[in-house]
Amino acid sequence: MDEDQSAEEVTDTKIIIAVESTIGNSSYQHSKINQWMSGIVESSLSQLTKLGKPFKYIVTCIILQKNGAGLHTASSCFWDNSTDGSCTVRWENKTIYCIVSVFGLAI
Amino acid sequence: MEEFHSGDEVSFSPDEGSNVVKECIEGIIGGVDYSQNKVNQWTASIVQHTLTQLVKQGKPFKYIVNCAVMQKSGAGLHTANSCYWDTTTDGSCTVRWENRTMYCVVSVFAVAIAL
Repeated sequence: MDEDQSAEEVTDTKIIIAVESTIGNSSYQHSKINQWMSGIVESSLSQLTKLGKPFKYIVTCIILQKNGAGLHTASSCFWDNSTDGSCTVRWENKTIYCIVSVFGLAI
Repeated sequence: MEEFHSGDEVSFSPDEGSNVVKECIEGIIGGVDYSQNKVNQWTASIVQHTLTQLVKQGKPFKYIVNCAVMQKSGAGLHTANSCYWDTTTDGSCTVRWENRTMYCVVSVFAVAIAL
């Protein structure tokens, strides 16, 4: 159990690093979104696969412009509770909300 | 319980997945307007209902269902997914749905269980 918990913390940190390095201080810009999204998911995925653990990964990223709209998300998973898990990181700056979820499924 | 022969590979069918998702969305938020009080209930119902329908198909997959509901107010929303898996057996499908007052994006990821 301890190993699983520290794996989640490690994942959180790696995702925050991936997001910060891609959109750190930027303001929302429609023209750059595609590049940012690819950068975030690819960078998160490659950090995770470098850990070398026997998992399949799914990384999802949502970027939302801050203008007062309501956004709600939910996930439901059918898997093996003893080996599989997920973590979600919410990040924001003055003009952007970014939500990154990672799901890890044991092989 | 259905029996699966270990030699057969089953792969995820995105079309079937999409149909399941569309029916679930229509059934839950079909003709309604965005309501802040109800949206948590809606997203939870959509994911649970979709998951139940998929699991009922009895295929050897683990599933992840993700749903995002957003009020239509002019904000930009972008989503992306990246997956590290076995491309011969695993798959995903994403359904985008909207009505007058809200957008709904549901993604289903299916990962094969090794038998």
